[in-house]
Amino acid sequence: MEGERDKRGLMDIQEEDFDVVVRISREDDIAIARQMAKQLAQEAGFSLADVTKIATAVSELARNIYRYAQTGVIMIRKQYQETNNPTVQVVAVDRGPGIEDLDLALRRGYTTHERSLGIGLSGVKRLMDSFEIASKVGVGTTVVVEKRRRKF
Amino acid sequence: MRFEERVVPTIKIGDCLLVPIQIDLDDRTVEQLQAQLLAEIQEKRVRAIILDVRMVDVIDSYISYTLSETAAMARLMGCQAVICGIQPAVALTLAQMGIELRNLMVARDLEHALALV
Ligand SMILES: Nc1ncnc2c1ncn2[C@@H]1O[C@H](COP(=O)(O)OP(=O)(O)OP(=O)(O)O)[C@@H](O)[C@H]1O
Ligand SMILES: [Mg+2]
Repeated sequence: MEGERDKRGLMDIQEEDFDVVVRISREDDIAIARQMAKQLAQEAGFSLADVTKIATAVSELARNIYRYAQTGVIMIRKQYQETNNPTVQVVAVDRGPGIEDLDLALRRGYTTHERSLGIGLSGVKRLMDSFEIASKVGVGTTVVVEKRRRKF
Repeated sequence: MRFEERVVPTIKIGDCLLVPIQIDLDDRTVEQLQAQLLAEIQEKRVRAIILDVRMVDVIDSYISYTLSETAAMARLMGCQAVICGIQPAVALTLAQMGIELRNLMVARDLEHALALV
């Protein structure tokens, strides 16, 4: 993985700390993960625009797991750092083949899959407030993204 | 195409096929929809298909890709494809991701879509 922080971060992730854990192993699980994300973001009081962005980001991450790693897990939680300003955090973990060149994978339009736009990861990065990815060939991939609720 | 093979009920208006999408577009559904539409274009000899996505609350990269691909296939069969009723939040998300919905004409609503084709 990339650097000590990521190494530690990856081991720190505990399923029981999350509000929602969706195992991805079938195509249907992608839609389930996206519905769960939508519901959680709605409950946390996010705007419709941000609910949609979070649900779309989860859809991309879940599909990547299904496509490239076959199985993995999407974990979602609400976090309250400051009062009344929650953050939704989404963690996507798999023990799939990993990504050799992260810069390349994050480039818009880069894809190793047929029938794809190659904009999943770069899109997720744009839709969310923070984006972290750690990957190791033969070990797996972890993506952590967050979105803060906007004050109106 | 047999009725039970259809994932989305369609309505023929003149020589256009209206496709109101009112289900969650998971990957399999969007692929079945593509097959259904191509079959219906051939069967019903329509001039245009109008995809009404008012009820669709997530359009991600794969759904976009498949809808654009469907439109390209339709065009090869002499049929235009229009998408209408994209929700504001979905439009915002698509724009932020830089998704263009290639090959599809875009309309505000059904009336506008019918005027375009
Ligand atoms: N979880 C993963 N495990 C292994 N490789 C991955 C994973 N996620 C992404 N990749 C690699 O990174 C590339 C870029 O991913 P990205 O999601 O941006 O685009 P895509 O999946 O190819 O297409 P799109 O998401 O637009 O349908 C993929 O083609 C794949 O090679
Ligand atoms: Mg992808």
